[in-house]
Amino acid sequence: MSDIQIYLLEVDKDKAEARKIAAQSASKLENKELKLIDLITSLEQYINNKDDAGLRAKSIAYVADVLESVPPKVLSGQERRLLCDFVLGRIEGDVEGIGASARALLALEERGKWDPETAQKVARTFLDHANPWKDFKLQTDRFAVIQLFDRLLAKYRAPLQQLHDGDPEFISKFIAFFDGEKDPRNLMIVFSILRVPMTEWNVRASAQDLFEAVFNYFPITFKPPPDDPYGITAQDLKDRLRTCIAANSDFAPYSFPALLDKLDSSSINTKRDVLHAIQACIINYDPTIVNLYSVTLWDALKFEILNVQEEDLAEESLKALALIGAKFAQPHFDAYLSTYLRPIIKECSEHLEDAPTKQSQAAGRILHAVASASANVADKIVKGICPTLFTLYKASESFTKRRGLLEIFNQIIRAYVDLTRSQINVDVEALKASSSDALGVMLRVLTHAPKAEVSFRLSALAGITQLLAISGLLSNDEADQAVDTVTDIILHEDVHGHGSIRTEAMKSLTEMAHSAPDAMRNRAIPAFMVDLPDRPAEDSSVGPVLEAFAQLSGEQQVFDTVLLRLKNKLNAARAQGASGTYLQALLLAILYAFTHGSPKPDEEGVPRSTYFTEYAEPLMSMVRDVSGMQDPRTLEIIGRICNTILRPQSLHFQSTVYSKNLEYLSLAENSANKSSDRILQLAPFSLYYYAALRPEVVDAQDVITLLQAQSNVALNASHDEAGLSTIVQHICLLINKFINPKAMQATLDSANIEVESLLSVNAEPTSQATSVIFSVVKALLIQGKCPALTSKYLQLLLKLLSTSDKSVARRFAKLLAPDDILTKENHCLVSGLYKQKTFNQLVPSITEAVRTSADATTKPNHLIALSGILRWLPYSMLESTLPSLIAPLLQTLDLSDTADQDPKASTLIIFESVLMHNPDIVSEHVASLITRLMNCTTGPTNIAKVRAKALQCLTLAPRQLKREVLVPYRRQVVKKLMACLDDPKRDVRAEAVRCRTAWLALDEGEEEEE
Amino acid sequence: MDADKDNANPTIINPSDLPSRRRSAPTTKRKGIFDELAPAYPSLADPFSSAEASSASSEFDGEERREEIDEQEVYDLISTISDPEHPLSLGSLGVAKLDDISVQRPTSPRSRISTVTVLLTPTTSACSLTTVIGLGVKVRLLQALPPRFRVDVRIKEGTSQTADEVNKQLGDKERVAAAMENRNLINVVNTMLATCE
Repeated sequence: MSDIQIYLLEVDKDKAEARKIAAQSASKLENKELKLIDLITSLEQYINNKDDAGLRAKSIAYVADVLESVPPKVLSGQERRLLCDFVLGRIEGDVEGIGASARALLALEERGKWDPETAQKVARTFLDHANPWKDFKLQTDRFAVIQLFDRLLAKYRAPLQQLHDGDPEFISKFIAFFDGEKDPRNLMIVFSILRVPMTEWNVRASAQDLFEAVFNYFPITFKPPPDDPYGITAQDLKDRLRTCIAANSDFAPYSFPALLDKLDSSSINTKRDVLHAIQACIINYDPTIVNLYSVTLWDALKFEILNVQEEDLAEESLKALALIGAKFAQPHFDAYLSTYLRPIIKECSEHLEDAPTKQSQAAGRILHAVASASANVADKIVKGICPTLFTLYKASESFTKRRGLLEIFNQIIRAYVDLTRSQINVDVEALKASSSDALGVMLRVLTHAPKAEVSFRLSALAGITQLLAISGLLSNDEADQAVDTVTDIILHEDVHGHGSIRTEAMKSLTEMAHSAPDAMRNRAIPAFMVDLPDRPAEDSSVGPVLEAFAQLSGEQQVFDTVLLRLKNKLNAARAQGASGTYLQALLLAILYAFTHGSPKPDEEGVPRSTYFTEYAEPLMSMVRDVSGMQDPRTLEIIGRICNTILRPQSLHFQSTVYSKNLEYLSLAENSANKSSDRILQLAPFSLYYYAALRPEVVDAQDVITLLQAQSNVALNASHDEAGLSTIVQHICLLINKFINPKAMQATLDSANIEVESLLSVNAEPTSQATSVIFSVVKALLIQGKCPALTSKYLQLLLKLLSTSDKSVARRFAKLLAPDDILTKENHCLVSGLYKQKTFNQLVPSITEAVRTSADATTKPNHLIALSGILRWLPYSMLESTLPSLIAPLLQTLDLSDTADQDPKASTLIIFESVLMHNPDIVSEHVASLITRLMNCTTGPTNIAKVRAKALQCLTLAPRQLKREVLVPYRRQVVKKLMACLDDPKRDVRAEAVRCRTAWLALDEGEEEEE
Repeated sequence: MDADKDNANPTIINPSDLPSRRRSAPTTKRKGIFDELAPAYPSLADPFSSAEASSASSEFDGEERREEIDEQEVYDLISTISDPEHPLSLGSLGVAKLDDISVQRPTSPRSRISTVTVLLTPTTSACSLTTVIGLGVKVRLLQALPPRFRVDVRIKEGTSQTADEVNKQLGDKERVAAAMENRNLINVVNTMLATCE
């Protein structure tokens, strides 16, 4: 049997097998075992079979399969030409197997480029003889033909264009050829095929046909099948179709009317597509063409903005309007621009007359959008609108109307602000004509309008800030005036409650500091200084002034000035003997500037080291002076300032600082520092100072001496709680950051703070000892470098829970609590897994202890410790162990001691998350949960925070749990909540209202179901 | 467009002009920006020395201090109700105003009954949905205030052509109860109340 015979037998049963046979024929051709002519003649009786069309199609498929398998260079140029003619000749007489013919041609083309004539002949043959080919039912057939045309247009564009140029009928055949295609994969290619004539050929005469050929598909409503192997989305089709619609300016007479017609559609999606298409057309069409439709487009698009149906449609419409403006931005299109803007200005001016309305707000949006297109558009809008706007403003007495007008003006100048930010040179001459007027008006509003007109004054404030932000607009005098007025509001406006715009004024002033740093330095900062006395009579009145002043440090250009003034003020205040609180407030202002402001960075992006020399060092010398400021709070703030500046500095810089200060801070040499009083006194500063240092900087022996001395003070000396707190924090820091983990136990021993021995001395350790123990354990577990020691200590702490009182249990909350000392910024060792590890080591044992313990005293201990640990863990960490945690958590809510509010509050927060994310887990505990939550909603055993949280959890229940489970409790809950509506605290009442509404709604659900 | 043509474009009060408790609280009491500079995490030293714990204990001290239900609180309860025909709140439409709310404390020491009176201003005198708005406000207050409050919702004098009729309906317990049996009305009222926090 010849290959063709076997192929024909197999092709219907097994495509892959058939291809294999074709491949065999191909290799026979390659090895010269089979001559091409013999292969073709072997086809004869099948390919010409008059009675069986299927047979003819299969034979040509065989040819295509063979050709696709033939390696390159096997067939000579002449053979390929002959084959090409053979296939094309067949099509002329018989279009059966058209897809296979196309495949055969594609395969031939791949094996040797066609000359222009062949390409033309291929195109012609298909257009003449296989037209319209939508009659071909098989998508795969059509796909092959489309691919062939895609290839022709990709590689043989010029020859095809010649066909078009030489034959006026060609294009209509070409268009009609693809008519009616529905398959999305085919359409994707058809759109890109049609785009070639659209963009490259002269098709003016057939523009309408060509446009309609694609617009027939608008809007695309295709929904891809769930298992679509090609992954074509509706968006892909929409994008291609849109580029077609926008491809040629000659489409405008058809596209704009058709699109605007579809804009009336009731489907939001269609409208969305229309707006995107209109935008694309505006971008791609010629300005002269867009000019013809600009007013028509405005007339249609404005309704989407004046009567907003969907916010995004309004935004897309605004974008389209702006694009038209941008299209005419070149000076030589000035006439077009005027034509376009005239009706816009007219209509918007009309809406100004009855401002503020929804329409006037829309007018503001329109003006902003269009003016943002370019400077000369903004220019024309300002000239067209502002005179009317200010005439109306002056003619009106109503604050509301004036506010409405100012809001529109603000929208227009906001466009200028945006423009000046993106372009360097924006001509503001036109705006200058109105800006003095505007500034005058707005300054008057700020100074004279009634304080209760908050929104009016805020509009004026926003307007002034924007005017100042447009560079080159206001004169220096005007800028000074603006800054003065706003500064005056901050400093002297004595309005409390409703009517105070101080916060907003402060925000404006910070923005102004950015636009007009000179005015800030010359006017605002001196004014602030006048209001900051060296020695205030009453501290509270300067607090807000100082706060506002410190906020100016947020602008880098004035940062140094602000800081310098603060430092001088601090020195003056000290010299004048001002109160400690005032000095602290000034120090806090400096701290605020360094933490929240924008200090100038050095080349590395770190705040300059000169700040340390200029600001921190003088403060440190105050600390050093034994007779100087020794109040712990003051020392702490100074410590924090040094910490913030010092910690990012380089190793080298820190080493210099450390060695310079070693002498007076260190304990080794100086006996004066060894007294426990001095250690306690210095601790607040020393803590933050050591926290800033990189571990490599310090001298190991110095740290060990310090640790020993501090441990001694912590365990033995007498001190107040705040003092002890600082010392144990200090111990915690030293252990975590500076002590070599390998020598940990020995070092702890040498400082007498080894946990096991501390515990063995006394079965019931003193409160001081417990503090030290917990700080040691905390340092170790965050560090994560001494795992054996850490878990031994944790077990000891657990044991302690069964023998001691609640105070030990409460301390468990401190172990994982966030700590602003032990952080990576402070170069501490923070293990990434410490929370997880602690959780794993403690929680299972505690839950087990709760389960088995019958003892009424140790059980609460375990519950408190558990909630103390869980409190700081991310919810995701608890999620997997939740089933075993629910029971102890429910018991925690039963704690009745009034001192146990924290465990309850944190447990309620966990229940809130459970209800939110894993309601299934509590569904079997509904009865106990609801009862306990209700018990937590009333005083006096629950504080307001607990009551409110319990109500929040209870509110979640109807939303998250199954209705039928809750309905039995509805009556009871609603009744109980009645009492909560009368809770003494307002916040709790608000939660109760929300909660009760949620539970009342359960009933309605029932009725709806009936 | 809108069902009520007389009032297609009511004046809308800017949110920053609406009365609120936050803005009317004296500024001296608020936390200063410097207070955040020293975070108040629990200290290691003693379970009760931390700032948090001390704030909790001060909460206990303050627990006795009762925050009475006042006009602003009633306003907050009803100003977020949305108008049945505009997608706006009663507060921003000026239908509910703080000045038109009064809370009368018990007149004698033996009585526990307080009275809340709310006067509503319809957006136009011909507003056809005045009754529904009144009903919504009444339902909201009955649900949200403790039972010791008597709720009196009325239309402000001279603001509506149908004021007398509406007041009669709103004042009649039976008629309010009957209205709330009507499925359509319940749905309308629920949509209005859906925007309440």
